[in-house]
Amino acid sequence: MNSTLLSETLIRRLNTAQLVLAGILIMSPTAWMVLSSFKPSFEVTAYPPTLVFSPTLENYVELMQTTPFFSYAVNSLVVTLGSAGLGLLFGIPAAFAVSWTRISWPAVLALAARMAPGTLFLLPWYVMFRQVGMIGSYTALILSHAVITLPIVIWVLLPSFDNIPRSIFEAAQVDGCSITRVLWKIALPLVGSGIAVAAILSFVFSWNYFLFALVLSNGDSKTLIAAAFNFVGEGSTQWGALMAAATLIALPPLVLAAIVQRWLVSGLTLGAVKG
Amino acid sequence: MTYAAYAVTPDRQRAELATLSAPAVLFTLAMIAFPVVYTVWLGFHTFSSTGRQSFSGVGNYSRLVADHEFWHGLWVTLALYVLSLALQLVLGIWLALLLFHAKRLPGIVRSLFISPFMMPPVVAGLMWLVILDPSIGAANYLLTRVGLPPSDWLASPLWVIPTIAMIDTWQWAPYVALIVLGGLQSLPPSVYEAAQIDGASPLTTFRRITLPLLLPTIVTATILRSVDLLRFFDIIYITTQGGPGNASNTLNIYGFRVGFEFFNIGYASALMLTLTAIVFGVVLAFNRLRGAVAW
Repeated sequence: MNSTLLSETLIRRLNTAQLVLAGILIMSPTAWMVLSSFKPSFEVTAYPPTLVFSPTLENYVELMQTTPFFSYAVNSLVVTLGSAGLGLLFGIPAAFAVSWTRISWPAVLALAARMAPGTLFLLPWYVMFRQVGMIGSYTALILSHAVITLPIVIWVLLPSFDNIPRSIFEAAQVDGCSITRVLWKIALPLVGSGIAVAAILSFVFSWNYFLFALVLSNGDSKTLIAAAFNFVGEGSTQWGALMAAATLIALPPLVLAAIVQRWLVSGLTLGAVKG
Repeated sequence: MTYAAYAVTPDRQRAELATLSAPAVLFTLAMIAFPVVYTVWLGFHTFSSTGRQSFSGVGNYSRLVADHEFWHGLWVTLALYVLSLALQLVLGIWLALLLFHAKRLPGIVRSLFISPFMMPPVVAGLMWLVILDPSIGAANYLLTRVGLPPSDWLASPLWVIPTIAMIDTWQWAPYVALIVLGGLQSLPPSVYEAAQIDGASPLTTFRRITLPLLLPTIVTATILRSVDLLRFFDIIYITTQGGPGNASNTLNIYGFRVGFEFFNIGYASALMLTLTAIVFGVVLAFNRLRGAVAW
């Protein structure tokens, strides 16, 4: 008995040790990026790399002074909030209708759109948007990013709507409620957490999306993600300022994801895994 | 209960449901369905440098079959796919087992686990670009400290694919882990107890009981990763843009460059439709497999 207890303790310790190791592997690249952003610029490229340094904000100051970081951030916010809003506006009633009728093809179509490579859409969009002179407009960027957000909203909300007992809706209908009223007055308040997850995932994936803005934005409407790519291309790369930019760009999605971490994974699997 | 009892008639219901889904349906038609049909049309045309288009039938597709760069891109895509998927499944299952036996999973640990794949891939690419820099990077410093030769990482034609696979694995193995963890938590505890009573060793229990029961979840994770890996773009475009030479020129990168750097929209369309067919084919195949291993 004593020996099994001993080996159980040992197994548990080994388990913890492996978890700590995994945690370090997962965390250290991000930690290195954040550390580098606070290093004096000559130390960012120092070899051997330094771990101890006097932290400074000079990289952040340089970033703000040499790039229109703030206006890129505004572009990113407009595109992200616009596309997440559009995704919710179109996706909530659609998910409700799909759940109500149990007709699955619209949801499957949304899933197919999620699976196709972005370039497949980008080629015709580019031709179409160019013809109507919309390259570089917020509208083109918001519409293209809504192709990311709409399937997320539908697939996150579908299980939530499915979980509401049908009898609640039927009772309301007997009382003369229209389906639209049932949605707004009864169903929506019941799926509040689902909507929060859908909204945050839409925000994160729209914020993070690179490919569409790479082609459909121009100098004035560039999103942070697309602009970050240009920071590298400009010959004499300022690694410190680059790490400052990377840190700031990663901050909003990481903070938002931490808020909904408990529900996030089931939302991300597009309903493929329950639990 | 008959319909007469409802204040709302079935016809009115149908109209209301149509109205509710109309915005999403119209949006999908305009932004997805029509553009894809248009891509098919574009794929049958060639575009001159002045932007004039002419019908070329299956010309783009016969060009594709004879295009060495296409076959190279397919090879790179599949190599990156198989390598990344294998790494992510093995490490993901390992991490999931660790988390499962940890009993308690504080929110901070979960936040740590989701941080790699919630971060923009572009940011992940930038930060690894600095870490893996051949001359000043921290990775080579660590290698030389433990007595290993430094590597050129992303700048090496030989190592660029394994390196990109490693970056993507850092980002997405925790995601696979959390999916598998969900699968583990939904397994009935009684099967473990039965195995324990029969005196099965932990390894046997894992191989004979846990793994088979987990297969549907693992196939699900495989499908979700396959979709992303076969159209791999962001990290490659940020770090190597298909290089060095064409060593990391995946089909998606190649198609993008044909379309938006050489403005050969017709040929790029043919390439992208081919890639899309590959993605759908792989997903459908795994979907069948999931049906076969379900319990």
